[in-house]
Amino acid sequence: MQASSGDPGPPTGAGLYVHVPFCRSRCPYCDFNVLAGAGRALRARYVAAVRAELARVAAAGPASVAPPGTRTGGWPVFGSVFVGGGTPTELAAGDLAGILRHARAVLPVAPDAEVTVEANPEDVDAETLAALVDAGLTRLSVGAQSFAPHVLDFLGRGHAPHRAPAAVAAARAAGVARVSVDLIYGAPCETDADWTATLDAAVGAGVDHLSAYALTVEANTPYAAAIARGAAGAPDEDVQAARMAVADERLGAAGLRRYEISNWARPGAQSRHNLLYWRGGDWLGVGAGAHGHWAGRRWWNLRPTARYADTVLAGWAATAGQELLDGAARRTERLMMGLRLVAGVPRAAVEPLDEAAADRLVAAGLLADDGGRLALTPAGRPLAGAVVLRLLP
Amino acid sequence: MTYPSARIRNFAIIAHVDHGKSTLADRMLQETRLVEGRMMRAQYLDRMDLERERGITIKAQSVRMPYTAAGGTEYLLNLIDTPGHVDFSYEVSRAMNACEGAVLLVDAAQGMEAQTIANLYLAVEAGLEVIPVLNKIDLPAARPEQVALEIVSLLGGDAEDILAVSAKTGQGVPAVLERIVERVPPPAGDPEAPTRGLVFDSVYDAYRGVVTYVRVVDGWLRPRMEVRLMATGFHNEIDELAVISPEPKPVDALGPGEVGYFTAAIKEVDSARVGDTVTEHRRPAPEPLPGYREPTPMVFSGLYPLDSADFPDLRDALERLRLNDASFTFEPETSVALGFGFRCGFLGLLHMEIVSERLDREFDIPLVTTAPNVKYEVHLTEALRKPNEPAVVLVSNPAELPAPNRIERILEPVVDAMILCPSDYVGPVMQLCEVRRGQLEKMEYLTEERVELRYRLPLAEIIFDFFDRLKSSTRGYASLDYEPAGMAEADLVKVDVLLNGEPVDAFSAIVHRAKAYEYGKGMVGRLRELIPRQLFDVPIQAAIGSKIIARETVKARRKDVVAKCYGGDVSRKRKLLEAQKEGKKRMKAVGTVEIPQEAFVAALSIRD
Repeated sequence: MQASSGDPGPPTGAGLYVHVPFCRSRCPYCDFNVLAGAGRALRARYVAAVRAELARVAAAGPASVAPPGTRTGGWPVFGSVFVGGGTPTELAAGDLAGILRHARAVLPVAPDAEVTVEANPEDVDAETLAALVDAGLTRLSVGAQSFAPHVLDFLGRGHAPHRAPAAVAAARAAGVARVSVDLIYGAPCETDADWTATLDAAVGAGVDHLSAYALTVEANTPYAAAIARGAAGAPDEDVQAARMAVADERLGAAGLRRYEISNWARPGAQSRHNLLYWRGGDWLGVGAGAHGHWAGRRWWNLRPTARYADTVLAGWAATAGQELLDGAARRTERLMMGLRLVAGVPRAAVEPLDEAAADRLVAAGLLADDGGRLALTPAGRPLAGAVVLRLLP
Repeated sequence: MTYPSARIRNFAIIAHVDHGKSTLADRMLQETRLVEGRMMRAQYLDRMDLERERGITIKAQSVRMPYTAAGGTEYLLNLIDTPGHVDFSYEVSRAMNACEGAVLLVDAAQGMEAQTIANLYLAVEAGLEVIPVLNKIDLPAARPEQVALEIVSLLGGDAEDILAVSAKTGQGVPAVLERIVERVPPPAGDPEAPTRGLVFDSVYDAYRGVVTYVRVVDGWLRPRMEVRLMATGFHNEIDELAVISPEPKPVDALGPGEVGYFTAAIKEVDSARVGDTVTEHRRPAPEPLPGYREPTPMVFSGLYPLDSADFPDLRDALERLRLNDASFTFEPETSVALGFGFRCGFLGLLHMEIVSERLDREFDIPLVTTAPNVKYEVHLTEALRKPNEPAVVLVSNPAELPAPNRIERILEPVVDAMILCPSDYVGPVMQLCEVRRGQLEKMEYLTEERVELRYRLPLAEIIFDFFDRLKSSTRGYASLDYEPAGMAEADLVKVDVLLNGEPVDAFSAIVHRAKAYEYGKGMVGRLRELIPRQLFDVPIQAAIGSKIIARETVKARRKDVVAKCYGGDVSRKRKLLEAQKEGKKRMKAVGTVEIPQEAFVAALSIRD
């Protein structure tokens, strides 16, 4: 195979991530920084805090986020904005649109930037969509998760299966250029037939991008606790491997090409923002618990929503911690993230490697190595973790 | 301060573990006012932490107690406390040879146990006067009349004559001391003859060298005398000559019948072995005392440091332990799977446990211990013998067994085992012994409720978990003792375990042909559970020579990938990866199969 197939080229500019921690209820498998059932007052304070943090960081310039001593000029152009959660659509449409406008006002966001908002299917209506499109939304990511009612129920998702295609159609009607759905596979109650039906329904809804994630047991979640006390089954690794293969086959046949371990897109519809993460790009993280990365420095904000808001509104920085990456750590990250892409990673960015291990992995048919780039083969993709572990020097 | 022989009484206490031997010794120390109440601590004579914790005596102890008898005459009582386990029966017999009498202490609730009987026989063999005593008569479960009958059926005599005590409360203890004075004969020995002393224990001391415990039979020991140990030939001048009463007290001389210790700048216990005879270098005795035997390890096991960097430390630790314990042996060996280690020989399973526990406790070296095995005598086929190869080779490491076609026959060590159990449990005990290839030699009812069974059993069959099984199939009521009974031919084969086609030496075992399948299947099944899935299918096979007898497969791992990895996950996932990378370094590689160290340890430590 050609390691460079499907490579959409180098990232353009920086990215901005805005975190919205609110959710209607907490899903049992989720370990994200979310807050269920927050009141109006906290939401209002939170929106104000996000706007304040955006303004504060933008005014301080890249020197405030880059490693100390790095030569920086002004902000580069921002090629993407991503509002994720939590559930961004838990905020009032006006507030959400306000944040998007504010970002454009304080940072040099490119006119053709990819601007994504995550949404639950049940929250998407024409009015909200119109407000967001007016504020610059170009991409909607719909959390469909499954089209099988019992799987949705197991995942703690309240919506009926038909809401997801309806949301996709509404987004199209409102002029949203790109629509993606998220799916979760491998729940113990899901059958092979449930999964193929879910894939077909997602494709049938007319999306140009799809993320399919194997259900994962994260520590300290209600799902993990349920497994521990025997109240719920754990996902089966072999079943998930088989479902992953089925997804690749069916989505490929429908014209959606895999470009990352868990992501498929029609040509040109890859998520520009997410590519930044996998390619070691620079982005600002704003909001409670948000992570940012700039030129080898990572930092993360305070996680508790109220504390984040209070700190920012009192005029303080929201940073809770940071990490300066040395060369080895950066190479490890580039390898770990870069190999997730079908296009792989340039060798120069990840060398030195355990070359003997690389040779064995190539011989075993798990790795493709054309001397310039390393990439996983289709057989290697489900085993990315083991491959990376062996390649590290 | 020397006593005439006529007023010396040397005695041992014979008892089963937990029957109260150390407690009785404690009470005697108090009764003879050797230890004041406030200075008393439990198990006064047990020196090692391990002895105190396990409540067992590993080393022989002795204590000298001046005692004024009821008639007003002052006597010297020497209590020689013996080890209480079958592994140390040679040491026990030597200690008994240092005595003229023995207190047979029996728990009035538990009754006679196999070990007590075995030691009783040793005492009778050594010609000792036996004084039976029932202990724990204050317990509600005590049944002194029945237990007295058990004793009478073994020892003869009159049940009325048996003393009853509570070592815990001290009740009846004075009567025991009186009985010792009355019944135990005074030592006979020739004060004019060349010196002969029986070494019944030797203990390493970092400052003084080896402390040698001795019972003088003939002649005298004096400070500055140049002494010679007759079996090892070691000779040197005595630095310190003392008795224990109950703390060390220097003496000017030890004469016939007296018990004490000396030091003579002896660097390792190997030079002053239990059972040896000490004599005067310039005026040696013509003959040593009878009964000396070289220590012979019966049970073997590989000890490997968990971290190969600890190998030099392990060697150092074994050398230091051996200074103190001449009965275990070690020699370096290498294992493909476990790296560099030592093949160690032990007197028995308890001895092995004690050594590894002491290594862990005193030297803090984490170890992998391979499954214990015995030493086989392998007779090679004449036609396939290599030049200069002996006709018979001894194999203590299963991996070293020659190929099946080169073996004419194999002999394995067998033991004569004595099992005592309540008559209700005879069925399960016989069943267990038959499964373990035992041959019934004798069955005798000591009383209506208590049966003595004698079996000839392969030693290899009892070193695994025989005792545990025996206990569990008799609700803890059976007791076991055994003694070596030579070698016997058996249809034995080596079962190898192969991972991905490569033999893993640490898992090889020599087993009876009829049990090879069972062993192979068990090991293969266990490994299937313990070996993590790899990137390829890993066949696990058990084989005799080239014949596969059992097989399992660890299916290849099909998925090892994080589902979601975005901007907020990078730091955490990288750290996880770095931790995995560290973990991978601790993996043992067998060919291309990576096995976590813990899986190795688990596979070797579970015993079927």
